[in-house]
Amino acid sequence: MRHVCPIVIAILVASASSLAQIAGSSEPETIRLLVQQVNELRGKVDALEAKQASQTSANPDLPAPDQPLEESASTTALPNELSHEVRGIQWRGFGEFNYKVLDQRTPELGTFGSLPGSAGNFYSGDFDLFLTSRISDKASVLSEIVFGQGAAQSFDVDLERVLLKYDYNDHLKMSFGRYHTGIGYYNTAFHSGKWLHTTADRPLIMEFASDGGLLPTQAIGVSVTGLIPSGKLGLNYLFEYGSSDTIRPDINGSGNLDDENNGNHVNLVVFAHPDAIPGLQVGASVYHDKISVFELGPSVRAGQTIVNGHVVYVGHGIEFLSEGFLVRHALENSSTRLNTPAFYTQFSKRIGHLRPFFRYQYINASQRSLFEDVGLRYGPSFGARYDFSDNVAFKVQLDHTVRQNQPDLNGLQTQLAFTF
Amino acid sequence: MRTNVNLFLLWMFLLCPLAAFAQKTDIAVVVNPGNPVSSLTLPQLRKFLAGEKRSWPNGQAVRVFVRASGTRERITLLKLLGMSESEYKQYWTAQVFRGEAQAEPLTLPSNGMQKEAIVAIPGAIVLMDSRDVKPPAKVVRVDGHLPGESGYPIQ
Repeated sequence: MRHVCPIVIAILVASASSLAQIAGSSEPETIRLLVQQVNELRGKVDALEAKQASQTSANPDLPAPDQPLEESASTTALPNELSHEVRGIQWRGFGEFNYKVLDQRTPELGTFGSLPGSAGNFYSGDFDLFLTSRISDKASVLSEIVFGQGAAQSFDVDLERVLLKYDYNDHLKMSFGRYHTGIGYYNTAFHSGKWLHTTADRPLIMEFASDGGLLPTQAIGVSVTGLIPSGKLGLNYLFEYGSSDTIRPDINGSGNLDDENNGNHVNLVVFAHPDAIPGLQVGASVYHDKISVFELGPSVRAGQTIVNGHVVYVGHGIEFLSEGFLVRHALENSSTRLNTPAFYTQFSKRIGHLRPFFRYQYINASQRSLFEDVGLRYGPSFGARYDFSDNVAFKVQLDHTVRQNQPDLNGLQTQLAFTF
Repeated sequence: MRTNVNLFLLWMFLLCPLAAFAQKTDIAVVVNPGNPVSSLTLPQLRKFLAGEKRSWPNGQAVRVFVRASGTRERITLLKLLGMSESEYKQYWTAQVFRGEAQAEPLTLPSNGMQKEAIVAIPGAIVLMDSRDVKPPAKVVRVDGHLPGESGYPIQ
């Protein structure tokens, strides 16, 4: 650009002198228009020169056009920010404000302030504080503390995640502590902050166990992840070994708690980010542990195997999430096998600040399993998210759930989700 | 007739500067001079810019620096990642929240600061208008091409 300006000026001067020579031609109107355009161009050149001069004076770090970079770098100190080192604790917060209406007088869960007998409630949901601190170039600490609302506007504190992380390289990254298990995509992609979610809530199969979800979503142990050398396939692995201790409330409002009394689990995840389609993730996971099934007897134990397959595409304003699950309970000393298949599919498309979404979910839990409160249920959710700014979003969501041996459940949720 | 020809020539003369202003140059991928990497594929570049790959082959941590919103380099970055400005911010918030990144890439307000960062930070990588690149900054081939060469994919 700097070299173009003098050329433009020279051309304009030459053009102007040419204009003077043809000023007496028989087409005065054409000439007048040409002169007008020359003047406009001259004005643009002046503006560009002024802008360039102001940038140079405003940024003393900016080298002069022909100044060698080495000279500039050696004489100017870099701002502290350029070190890109964050030694202190960084924190970020997530909050939400909700209103939920159900068409049944008995809500499914006593959580989120939805008291049995009421059909609609305001609730604050989760208030999430996220803290990170870098210890060294390769080590860091991450923690997530959630103040969650229970019934009657009571609040409890949950240390959702606390991890000491060590990233040796792209192929070996280790974490020690309490984590969200890598069963499927959703649990590790969205965590607790509702602002990150497109929808107002999580799919039921991916709901936190403490909120009635079916899966062991949290554990304490070791997590190792990294890239697998695989060329254009972009394979990654995740291996987890730890202890879950899942206690889930029945979602039918009975007030019962199911303590699974989990043994140590093993979870292996493999997923691909193929080079050919940026934004696509295809993966699968296998999780195994042993749990107690108190519904069938005080000492009944079962092997729990959870198989997941997922396809996710996020890019160019489109979000497509689809995950399938098979939860299999194999009772010890018995040939009984109880299977719970489930899936959800979610699609959304950004249109300016608006992101309409659609989700369909399905769970078919055996009445004899420890998910007898869930049973067969399926149905769509649809709504929209509107981003007021980069920090505040408003969501409206309608749910229709078909339940086995129970009336259909319809719900309206509105949510103001924010981050700070 | 001669007048018309003169006017046409004059008109073409006046268009030249506009064409010069409108001409777009390639956006170079620039790394620290000590970085052994001299060539990347476009998918590899995307993974570096998106924070999916966080170390260079020599083990050095990758440090991505970006220009401010509205600059040509930023627009090119968003195009490469297939994101809008707000999606980019949301993406990095999510990456930090997932523990996949310590912080969003640092935004530098001027090309001069980018040039200094690329020299001073060993693992640095930036997108920069190829006309602004000066030694000792190292320009990386993308899909086998350097800026200005036919087939160079980033403009």
